[in-house]
Amino acid sequence: MISALLTALLVGSPLARAEEAPVVPAEELPPLTKDPALLDFVQAPYPPDAAALKLEGTVNLLIEIDAAGTVTLVEVLVPAGNGFDEAAVAAARQFRFSPAEDATGPVPVAIEFAYGFVLDAAAKAGAHEQAQPVGDPAELPVNLQGTVVEMGTRRPLPDFLVRIDALNLESETDAQGRWQFRGLPPGSHTVRALHPGYDTLQKPVDVVAGEVTSARLWVRNQSYADPGIIGTYRRETADVTRRTISMDEIRRIPGTFGDPIRVVQNLPGAARAPLGTGVLIIRGANPEDSRVYIDGMYIPYIYHLGGFESIINPDLVKSVDYLPGGYGPQYGRSTGGSVDATTRTQFPERHELRWSTDALDSGGVWLGSFGTDHQHGVGVAARASYIDLILPAFLADDGFTVSPQWWDFQAKYQYQGDNPDKFSLLAFGFRDTLFIHTPDGYAQGTDPDTQGDIGTQYSTYRFGGTWDRAWGQHWSARIAPSFGMDEAALDVGDTFHLIQTRYTAELRAEAAYEHADHLSVTAGLDLIAGWADFIIELPFNPASFAEIDPLAEREPYQLKGTATGYGPDPWLNVRWKPLQDTDQLTLNAGVRLMYVIIPDENEVLALDPRFSARWAVGKTSVIKGSTGLYHQPPQPFQQYRPDDDPALVGAEEAWASSLGFEQAIGPAIKLEVEGFYKDLNDLIVSNRSFGSLDDSYFVNSGDGRAYGVEVIARHEPIGRLFGWVSYTLSRSERQDYPDEDWYLFDFDQTHILTAVAGYRLPYDLSLGAKVQYTTGNPTTPYALGVYDVDQDFYVAFPSGDTNSERLPPYWAVSARIDKLFTFKSWQLLVYLDVINALHGENPEFEQYNYDYTEKTYFKGLPIIPSPGFELKVPL
Amino acid sequence: MILQLVACDTEDLSQSWQIDRLRVLAVATEPAEPRPGDLVTFNALIVSPVDPLAGSAWFVCDGGASDDFGCSVDPALFEGGSLEEADPEDLAAAGFIGFLPALPPAWVVPADYLDSLTEAERLEGSFAMTYLAAIPEVAEGGTLDEDDVELAYKRVPVSLAATPNHNPAVLAWRVDGLAIEVGAEVLLDRGQAYDLRAELTSGSVEPYTFVTSAGVTKSLTEEPYLSWYLEEGSFSQSNSIFPVDTTVYFSPEEPVHDTASLWVVVRDRRGGMGWSELRVRFKAPA
Repeated sequence: MISALLTALLVGSPLARAEEAPVVPAEELPPLTKDPALLDFVQAPYPPDAAALKLEGTVNLLIEIDAAGTVTLVEVLVPAGNGFDEAAVAAARQFRFSPAEDATGPVPVAIEFAYGFVLDAAAKAGAHEQAQPVGDPAELPVNLQGTVVEMGTRRPLPDFLVRIDALNLESETDAQGRWQFRGLPPGSHTVRALHPGYDTLQKPVDVVAGEVTSARLWVRNQSYADPGIIGTYRRETADVTRRTISMDEIRRIPGTFGDPIRVVQNLPGAARAPLGTGVLIIRGANPEDSRVYIDGMYIPYIYHLGGFESIINPDLVKSVDYLPGGYGPQYGRSTGGSVDATTRTQFPERHELRWSTDALDSGGVWLGSFGTDHQHGVGVAARASYIDLILPAFLADDGFTVSPQWWDFQAKYQYQGDNPDKFSLLAFGFRDTLFIHTPDGYAQGTDPDTQGDIGTQYSTYRFGGTWDRAWGQHWSARIAPSFGMDEAALDVGDTFHLIQTRYTAELRAEAAYEHADHLSVTAGLDLIAGWADFIIELPFNPASFAEIDPLAEREPYQLKGTATGYGPDPWLNVRWKPLQDTDQLTLNAGVRLMYVIIPDENEVLALDPRFSARWAVGKTSVIKGSTGLYHQPPQPFQQYRPDDDPALVGAEEAWASSLGFEQAIGPAIKLEVEGFYKDLNDLIVSNRSFGSLDDSYFVNSGDGRAYGVEVIARHEPIGRLFGWVSYTLSRSERQDYPDEDWYLFDFDQTHILTAVAGYRLPYDLSLGAKVQYTTGNPTTPYALGVYDVDQDFYVAFPSGDTNSERLPPYWAVSARIDKLFTFKSWQLLVYLDVINALHGENPEFEQYNYDYTEKTYFKGLPIIPSPGFELKVPL
Repeated sequence: MILQLVACDTEDLSQSWQIDRLRVLAVATEPAEPRPGDLVTFNALIVSPVDPLAGSAWFVCDGGASDDFGCSVDPALFEGGSLEEADPEDLAAAGFIGFLPALPPAWVVPADYLDSLTEAERLEGSFAMTYLAAIPEVAEGGTLDEDDVELAYKRVPVSLAATPNHNPAVLAWRVDGLAIEVGAEVLLDRGQAYDLRAELTSGSVEPYTFVTSAGVTKSLTEEPYLSWYLEEGSFSQSNSIFPVDTTVYFSPEEPVHDTASLWVVVRDRRGGMGWSELRVRFKAPA
């Protein structure tokens, strides 16, 4: 009779930890200390019709398991039909697991499970094979043995079933993947290795009398997806809107170079950045109003040369949290959004080398752990560009040389043992250079001060650590100090030089008290201190801005000095869950004191109260809202006074509010809608009354407002499909002075639509596509220039109000295809990423001719194919 | 992005060096750097390859009182439709100083022009702003479209400098090393590259002194630059910074006209200007 051989797949690791109903996007998950294990596997009867037709199939299931290990929900993600689905669901409902655990004990999880129906050889042959009894195996010598090893990772696989069907014998692999048979008769035997989630391996082996035959069985995982965090985990979040994307999704999104930071540009609230750069324009805020952190460390430059890739290797990134607004008091000094990249906190027991190469750069990362219990996790990565070698092929040989170069490195240590003191260390740095050589004798315009070569270089280095500890059930603390250095240099010809070296020390510390799940109080300190040496050499004295006479003799100017400043921002947050069901209502009230001191120059003090609430309505819906103040200190250059008097500018202020809801639609799809309004005050603008050295170049006279609605419908990476459709309807306006008209923010985009999808095909192929449509940026029209005879250029007249017109809309389609090749001891991922695959000609800004009587558009990225590969080698 | 930026060009747009409409290319005053009380006369290089030039109206105003676009001239002044119909007193009040070619512009620097400055500041001086409108001829019965009027402004340095500026001048053109007399016409092949050189007069690059804000007197030498213009063809570069005084001229493969003009304007960065025109004739195709 046909027997059903059932295989089940537990993909990599648990997909997600789930409470009764997964409804909200995840924030960073505490790592599981123990995966769920299948204790009672229930064999489903082979569907008779399928058996008669000799059909095989695999049903992908979503199984939710509660904290006791009981299956609470089984749903079909990818059906197989032919009666397989019903049989698999019925069987899976009877499974019993050991519960998953994290540091707090058993926790609920959701897992993806592939239930395979495979006909045995006899059934396939249509014949019944009689098993051959071989006596009492325990008394016979071992004469066939081996190990089961995962292809690509060389990982020994425990709990594998190794069968010799013809003899009806089987052996299960131990923790080291070892199996054995005793007393096999000499001759050829067919050995099969079976396990849920792996291709069944069938291999003939010859047993010779009097000898022990060894065989290594290489089996292929059916899914090598990175088990990144995903968003079906439901837990309270302190932030109203925190969107988390798994690394597996990030790698498959076209047009992002697999970069985790750039991906946030595809989420609601983020406007399209010009020229494909990585500039963050979040909820109508200027790029400099949003801050980016790596493990809580503030980073001034997050992209290589303004937009290619972020400065951290994706293989060392665990997650990226995108907070467009409504965040708590732990983040500050900004009126825009925040992006917080968290580096990897778990490292594999077996050492692993990964190498990636694309059109821009190549780099490697080494991951592994040491110690008797693998308690010391280490990752080291480095990367270098070579675009400067490729560029000449695309540029005319006209004597100009363009040499962009960058490199970066990261090193992370993570203690992942059982000691209650948890700590980690992270060091990273990068250096970017861009050099443009002008041919000798070539006039770059007519100004003698703009002649010659242009070179810029900037670099950042950071070293930081974290220490976490919990005392009992109530108290916990975290301290994260860091120290770093930023360098920037700019040379234009022989007369313009800027050199700055800045040292930054940061300390993030927080202590939390949690009382019976209902109340937690967290007090924190976000301290930043910096001191800088700078040299600025200009061909003119900036003080002369007050009286511009282009014919007057310019006096070279040098400003050389040091600057110090610090900001010890204390903050307090109280989280209260007033209802008995602590997951139903969460109220957060926080306050942050922003205090920035630049001795003898400026002192900025502001108090930022912030409130947020989440209310779970039923099991699948959440209503959420927030309101709060956010202050941002002036940029260093905005505080400069030529007369060295104290600065006259203070902090910019934003009062940001939001209201929205989240709705789960089945286990994989979530809908989120959020409206926001931001009132901006005291914005820093150019001083229109500047007339002498007694005046400040900048004043806090601007106002602004930004409002809109964000919608995202997201299919979690469950099953073969992931993706989202996000849409933002927004408007952002500015007013420089109270008596002036309001005008549109420079990057105001009324409609921002982004659709991203990835789909896993058989044979380890995957496809990704992205469609973007945004309203064109505002622009100010000009017409009819007047010729400045002395300077040989035309000065333009605006022919309309500031930003009163718009560029045509932007739209682009990007696509990506990946193919994973798995070999015995390594894996190779090859991909082709095509940016702007349909070659949409997208205007980025207007270009006028010399006298402003004609205009055309500076168009965005053309079609750019970007091939690459990633190599993964277990060591 | 870098690919885009380095490849950035404006080839779809008309170029500044290409003369295909009414343009003001240069304005020179004599003297180049007057003192209070001096009489200043004006000359301009105005080219109009398509429509004949009717003339140019000239105004002068205090540099400190000017806006970013030259003198503020009230348009109501011309409500009558022409300068002839404007009230002479109103014209004078607006700073009107002449109309080329009928009334050559001239201006006497007020004697008290620098009185508000300190003695040291008077050495560096101040400037007056000159504003001109070049007006094309209008066909009989037609009306003047204000977009067709070319507007320009120029600063007139006024100082008590010890080494007042003088206008630079072009002595001769050289085409592939061959000197061309001013006013002569040169015969060129079509579709060929020619080395052009504008040879400056010996006094064009002047030494001068400058008193810094710290009171230090420095001896300097002018760093003039040349701007090249043409009617047909193209240049390897449209500006040359002295001591480079050359460019490469690419004659057109199929010129629209048998002859064309090339111009070079030299600016000494202190307000002084000079210019020269080269007439070229393109050989007939073989």
